[in-house]
Amino acid sequence: MPHGHRDRHRFWTSRRAILCGFAGVVGASVTRANDEASFSFGLTPVFLDNNIPLLSLLQEYLSQQLDRPIVLVKRRTYREISMMLLSGQLDAAWICDFPYVQYQDRLTLLAVPLYKDRPLRQAYVIVNKGSKARIFDDIRGTVHAFSDPDSTSGYLVTCWLLALRGQTPAEFFQNSFFTYSHRNIIRAIGGGLGESGSVEGYIWDVMKEREPHLVDNTRIVFRSEWLGFPPVVALGASRDLPVTQALSAALLGMTSDRLGREILSLLALDGFTKASPDLYESTAEKWRLVKQQS
Amino acid sequence: MPSLLRIATWPLMVKVPVLVAGLMVTVAFTISQVVLWRFAQDQESHLSVVTSAYLDGLSAAILPAIIRGDVWEVFDALDRGRRRYAGVEPRFVIVELPNGTVLAASDPLRFPVHSAVPEELRRQFPADGGLLIDAAAGRAWLARTLRTEGFSVGRLFAEIDIADLLSDRREILVTLVLVNGCLTLTFVLGGYVALKRMLQPLGVLTRYVEQIRDGRVDRIPEGYRSRVASEFGQLFDRFNSMARALSERQTLASQLAEQEKYAMLGRLASGMAHEVNNPLGGMLNAIDTIQAHGNDPAVLQTSLDFLKRGLAGIRNVARAALVTYKGSSDANLLTQSDLDDLPFLVQHETGARRLRLDWQNRISEPLAINGPAVRQITLNLLLNACAASPLGGHVTVTTSGSAGTLRIAVADQGPGLPEDMAALLDQGAPATAPSPGSKGLGLWMTGQLVHRLDGRADVEYPGVGTRVVVTLPFLLKEALDAAA
Repeated sequence: MPHGHRDRHRFWTSRRAILCGFAGVVGASVTRANDEASFSFGLTPVFLDNNIPLLSLLQEYLSQQLDRPIVLVKRRTYREISMMLLSGQLDAAWICDFPYVQYQDRLTLLAVPLYKDRPLRQAYVIVNKGSKARIFDDIRGTVHAFSDPDSTSGYLVTCWLLALRGQTPAEFFQNSFFTYSHRNIIRAIGGGLGESGSVEGYIWDVMKEREPHLVDNTRIVFRSEWLGFPPVVALGASRDLPVTQALSAALLGMTSDRLGREILSLLALDGFTKASPDLYESTAEKWRLVKQQS
Repeated sequence: MPSLLRIATWPLMVKVPVLVAGLMVTVAFTISQVVLWRFAQDQESHLSVVTSAYLDGLSAAILPAIIRGDVWEVFDALDRGRRRYAGVEPRFVIVELPNGTVLAASDPLRFPVHSAVPEELRRQFPADGGLLIDAAAGRAWLARTLRTEGFSVGRLFAEIDIADLLSDRREILVTLVLVNGCLTLTFVLGGYVALKRMLQPLGVLTRYVEQIRDGRVDRIPEGYRSRVASEFGQLFDRFNSMARALSERQTLASQLAEQEKYAMLGRLASGMAHEVNNPLGGMLNAIDTIQAHGNDPAVLQTSLDFLKRGLAGIRNVARAALVTYKGSSDANLLTQSDLDDLPFLVQHETGARRLRLDWQNRISEPLAINGPAVRQITLNLLLNACAASPLGGHVTVTTSGSAGTLRIAVADQGPGLPEDMAALLDQGAPATAPSPGSKGLGLWMTGQLVHRLDGRADVEYPGVGTRVVVTLPFLLKEALDAAA
């Protein structure tokens, strides 16, 4: 298989980079004061962050582009990354658009991924393939799997759908739990742990190609409208810093670099683009409606 | 056949290999049981250790998530742990909350989140935790109460597939059966062959003993002696000594029998002399009468008739003695006349004891059988019957030949033939003759002759006296023609 072969080759040639990447992630627990020259970049499961070769390539690429060591920082929840970014422990982060709209006044957009040449993606509600549910309302009374309380596709969209019906998750579902990863949502629903789940459409689509044995056990019962893709952001205060601008340029210029194209290929993205905050107006509206209901 | 069921009658060549097979099977069965039992013990002990380690690892991984009630984390740990523990193959694992509902299970479709653990399933697990093995089902059940700071936060149930362990046991059992089976078969065949070789001298000895039964006393050749084990060598030596002694004794017995024959003839001759002498006086008187009154034709005729009858009687007695002594002209045929003159030979015996002899010779045509031997058998039995009968008794002799069998029955009214004497007539009796001077030499000779002619002699006791029935086979005319 060409994909597999390429991935393997990349894996072996980048062993050092992988080890460095791990070191970088582990090193993130150390305060930035210990290493002023490095650049800390926060990651969330808005993309397939379980791909270790991808992380090492990303670290290598950014390190080359920014001409400094890159520390990739991963945490279990979106909130932890958001808080680290807002508290200045991270220089930039790839976060979900839901935290972005929550803290839009303090954050600045650096780049937005292009998926199928658009900075947009959908949220899906999925069920086990053995389920009799056909539409969203059929999943009433099921055990539901959410991704993260700060995820647009993995929480907010479903809450918004329920808010439109004047209900909360606790009222609509028999029970619910969080998996803190879109990939885990697919595993949980495919394995029967939950009967329905809220999942990122981009992740579901990519996994359908790459891990069909997991995705084929699930079926989509609801697709949201196109929403802004989770952005790469930095604190507004650091917008004009050269390193922040360098990060933005590195992401926007990824398509013109061999390593960058490799990363994009692994991400199944077409590149990064600049976008205005208006892109996330639909997400912000949903948040406002849900907030009013609660 | 009943004799096959009696193990004591089995030949050694069968008995010993069967015994070896029995011992081997017993030993193999015992060893197999011990090996399998020990192996099962080790497996269960090993399984206990491995499953305990499995539960330790799993408990440590899921305990914090259970406290938080984190369904996904528990499921994720169970799912990832499914294939990470060597030697443990869980079919399913359930984490139960203290309220009896499922927090998460490795097979959520079968045990959904927040459903109750089925009661019949719960009963399969050991109530006090630990390991329960059901070898028949190929399953093991584990249960453990999860505690933190002394409080129970849930229970963990796991069903383990131990089919591999049972498969290992089956493989060992099959190996043991095959190896032991091959060893048993080898030992049995080896034992059979070795024993057959070892018992070969016994076969030689048996053959020579059988020859003695048939009347041939041969010694075992020296060639055999040098090829057998020393025990059999000694046995051969003793057999040869015995055969030599037997041969000498048989020769002696034959000589004695011959002497007995002549003695009998002597007795017969004295009786015959008496029988001849009796008419001689009358005959001389007849001659005197002829000399004195020969001119009278009537007297002459009467005297000559008297002389003729006297001479005929003398001729019959003389001829009978002659035939007994010399034998008839054709030794392979028996005619009615070969037996019909026997009453003349015993005339003195019957006369002296006033016995009534009922002579019924029904042999109508010549029979292909040794005539002199049959004549000797009949004469011996007749003399014996005369001697046994009381004064004025009744002796019956009946002979008949039909369908290839000659039957001679001699009955007397004596006190009954003693069993030890009757045994001498038995053709299966030891081929040793009575010691010289003892009684029964005539009967022994008769038995020998009957045996030589492939016949049999039966002694019957019909209430009064004894009846000896001799049956002898003879070739029929058709068989004779075919042989010719």
